[in-house]
Amino acid sequence: MIFDLSQVAFLSIAYLLLLFGIAYSTERGWIPDAVVRHPLTYILSLGIFASAWSFYGVIELAFQYGYGALAYYLGTGAMFLFAPLVLGPLAELARRFQILTLADLLVFRYHSQAIGAVATLCMLLAVVPLLALQLQAVADTLRLLTEGETPAPLQKAFTFREAMALLYCVILALFTILFGSNQENHRGLITAMAFESLVKVCALCVIGLLAVYGVFGGMGQLDLWLSQNPQHLEALYNPMRSASSHTLLLVFIATAVAMPHIFHMAVVENPIKQVTYTVTWAFPLFLLFMALPIFPILWAGFKLGVPMAIQYFPLGVPMWADSPGLAILAFIGGLSAATGALVVITLSLTTMLLNHWLLPLFHFGGRYNIYQQLLWLRRCIIAAVFICGYLFYLSLDNNYSLTNLALMAFIETLQFLPGIFAVAYWPRGNRLGVLVGLSAGSLIWAVGLLLPLATGITALPVPGLASAIPLGFEHWHTITLLSLSVNVALFVLLSLATEPSDEERYSAEICAEDELSHPMRMALDVYNPKEFKQRLSQRLGRDNAEEEVDRALRQLNLSASERRPYALRRLRDQLEVNLSRLMGIGVAGEILDEYIPYKVPQTRATSDINLIESRLSQYRSHLTGMAAELNNLRLYHRNTLQELPLAVCSLGKDMEVLMWNRAMEELTGIPTDEVMGSHLGIIPEPWSSLIAGFCRSHSSHRYKQQVQLNDRIHWISLHKSSVRGPAAHSGEDQVILLEDVTETQLLEQELVHSERLASVGRLAAGVAHEIGNPITGIDCLAQNLRYESDSEEVQETASQILSQTSRISRIVQSLVSFSHIGQQSPEDFQPVDLKACVDEAIHLLQLRRDKTQVDFVNQLQPQLTVRGDSQRLIQVFVNLLSNARDASPEGGRVTVSAALQKEVIVVSVTDEGPGIAAEHRERILEPFFTTKEPGEGTGLGLSMVYSIIDDHGGHIDIDSPADRQRQIGARFNIKLPRQPQSALS
Amino acid sequence: MNSQRPVLFLLLILYVFSPTLFNWVVNPDGAWYRPYIIWMLVIAIAYAVQSRRKRHDI
Repeated sequence: MIFDLSQVAFLSIAYLLLLFGIAYSTERGWIPDAVVRHPLTYILSLGIFASAWSFYGVIELAFQYGYGALAYYLGTGAMFLFAPLVLGPLAELARRFQILTLADLLVFRYHSQAIGAVATLCMLLAVVPLLALQLQAVADTLRLLTEGETPAPLQKAFTFREAMALLYCVILALFTILFGSNQENHRGLITAMAFESLVKVCALCVIGLLAVYGVFGGMGQLDLWLSQNPQHLEALYNPMRSASSHTLLLVFIATAVAMPHIFHMAVVENPIKQVTYTVTWAFPLFLLFMALPIFPILWAGFKLGVPMAIQYFPLGVPMWADSPGLAILAFIGGLSAATGALVVITLSLTTMLLNHWLLPLFHFGGRYNIYQQLLWLRRCIIAAVFICGYLFYLSLDNNYSLTNLALMAFIETLQFLPGIFAVAYWPRGNRLGVLVGLSAGSLIWAVGLLLPLATGITALPVPGLASAIPLGFEHWHTITLLSLSVNVALFVLLSLATEPSDEERYSAEICAEDELSHPMRMALDVYNPKEFKQRLSQRLGRDNAEEEVDRALRQLNLSASERRPYALRRLRDQLEVNLSRLMGIGVAGEILDEYIPYKVPQTRATSDINLIESRLSQYRSHLTGMAAELNNLRLYHRNTLQELPLAVCSLGKDMEVLMWNRAMEELTGIPTDEVMGSHLGIIPEPWSSLIAGFCRSHSSHRYKQQVQLNDRIHWISLHKSSVRGPAAHSGEDQVILLEDVTETQLLEQELVHSERLASVGRLAAGVAHEIGNPITGIDCLAQNLRYESDSEEVQETASQILSQTSRISRIVQSLVSFSHIGQQSPEDFQPVDLKACVDEAIHLLQLRRDKTQVDFVNQLQPQLTVRGDSQRLIQVFVNLLSNARDASPEGGRVTVSAALQKEVIVVSVTDEGPGIAAEHRERILEPFFTTKEPGEGTGLGLSMVYSIIDDHGGHIDIDSPADRQRQIGARFNIKLPRQPQSALS
Repeated sequence: MNSQRPVLFLLLILYVFSPTLFNWVVNPDGAWYRPYIIWMLVIAIAYAVQSRRKRHDI
């Protein structure tokens, strides 16, 4: 069965165009999100793992190694089976530090640009045979389909086969450049890759079904054929027992971890978190479908006697079973497999080459747009990689089978295994060990396998040795073991013999332990985002630096005026991450270390508590067992502190705010989010100076510090103690407690006032009692004297005595009434009409004609009632009104008015006098304080008013001046609890 | 270390049962697709574990 060349070429190009279409429509948003973001799409896109080799070459492997061939799927399958354990942390690490390739991972872990460069070289050498393999598979199958013969070694002439391979290369390079060269997510690419995986798995399964049912006629017939040809069954088991199949397993496990395209898809393009769990069963299932048809196709090929290389049986079986449609499907399936692998391998290799070879050598940016520069650079490298693969393919002259090429690539990736293993499991491993081990292993591989492949030599003569060392693919097993042993031995020995640097040890800890390793709080000498821009513009150019800093600020939700050290550290880290994505972890780290370096912290080992906190809350769901319990405990204690009804904050040794609880937020009015991580110096006054002054002082308590808040004086007491930070040898942080004692202070003042009143009361009662009796005696004697003598002089003297004793009696009477205040209990109170009280007080006052005549105005409404003692309320008004009268000028006006507030009646007595001087205002309610002439007043009136009002559950306050415009007058406001029926009409 | 306990446990079980499994797989009287049955079984277990975890999360 032979196909027309133009037909096949047309179909191939149509298929590739379809892939273009799918990628393009996805990027345009024409394909619904439900499809693009479906976990199945991502899982299928992982299918690029199965390259053209697993479509064709694996059949030959099955022929050689029987079940041993399944090991190819076992390694990758196992890795995905344990994805949450194996890939999860790696993907998280990759996301956090923008690790895009295996070389990035090694650079990050071992802190060395040289490792990046060497790893890139080794990967390039490993991958080029793999690229050639894909091209060879496509070109070979095209020729088989159109010429129908075993592909013979080529003549030197540039044949149609090469032309088609070149065209294929060009189309794929175009595809990769269009959909993979930008830095953003590659949704189009992923969807197209998912589609190609679907095509190839369907194709292989359909051919498998054809083999079982079309060629053999069912499972029973297949078993029958196998029993008749027992050598095929034997071939399944025998090779498994040989040592080489174990080596094969080792090689395939390395493939799963180290192959750039698998790393790229599994770690970098891992967009949906939920997929991490779905992938555990779904991807092994995909691999099962890929592996299931292998043996039936192999046996069907033998049964049909397909005259082709065994590796091309998937194409040969449908051709010799006279099924043209399926033959085309098989060809398209193979084309698909080659396409997926080629595109993603190229992308990954491009990133490595750019980040580890080109960017460290040349400085980009400057005046030009760095994004455009990098984009064009990536495009050029993609093209170069395709050209490189194509040239290597040409140079091979079709002398090697797909299996040879694949194993060759896989054995080189095996050399990465010790370094990768140490990333997670051996923090002691260091850069020298990796560098030397990897180089030595790769050298042995290159001499043993690559050199014979490229030059055709079969043995290496060594001076001093009788026989030359045999090389070439026949000895792959020995070469693999030798290279790996030398690699591991050198790695281990050198790592043990040399000490890693501090940075390397730090990275090793991040990689090996939980990510919750104690991050240190480093200091920056940059104080705002603007300085970031200035510094970075020296390397990136002004526009690029501004764009990068603005982007990082947006990502972190920070403002451009941010000054908190904590936030600036986050900004630096975010910039490093963003630049890593752009130009690789090595170059980004170098730029930031050069222009925005971390200073050595003033105090050794200051933990970044804020960062630990934010990470813990971010990864809370990842914690299990003891860690989760400890985290719950931490949360409990944190909430206790946070909700503590006392204002608490804690400060690091460098005066950075580490905690600011809710009560602190309420007291200061500064939100926690704004203040966390700030330097104490930049928080608003008066808190900054108050707390900073206290921190610096040696005393651990400060009492009743006066602070002006919202036009009101507050009294704050401060207490502090030191806490040791979580890290070993860390400096001492301070925890500070602020206590708002304003209420206590006011109560204390009140108490002092009451105490003074009470003692005066007691004194007054005693004095009145002691004076009262002799006065009564004197009074009686004076009366007697007046009646008993007719002398004018004596009469006059007696009258004088009586007038003086009556004055003393009045004073004593007022002392007695003052001392009796508060004797009546509120239960005895009756409803009192306030207007009547005021009227009576006015009436009483108007009886005294000798005093200043003023106009009393009673504006109270009749319904205004309170519960109280009417006589004592009259006394209140008499006192207030008489004071008002005494203060008023002749003919002045004294107004009594009322207002209803929620629960109280406010009765105001307003005069037009000179007002009360500010210095008297505080003391005016104290007993015996008077501004009147001696003999005019006792100084008890207002304090009695205060006490009576207090007994009625009310309150008195004073406004002076009452008339702010004219600066005259005083107003006494009496607030009394309101009776429910009280109303102002 | 805690989170890797199930893996260690699984490896132990695999180690204990691997001779039996291996003999079962390479028994020449058995069907050629026996390895695939084990494979299928592993997938089923992974699916069960995953769906349980998903429920647990919700």
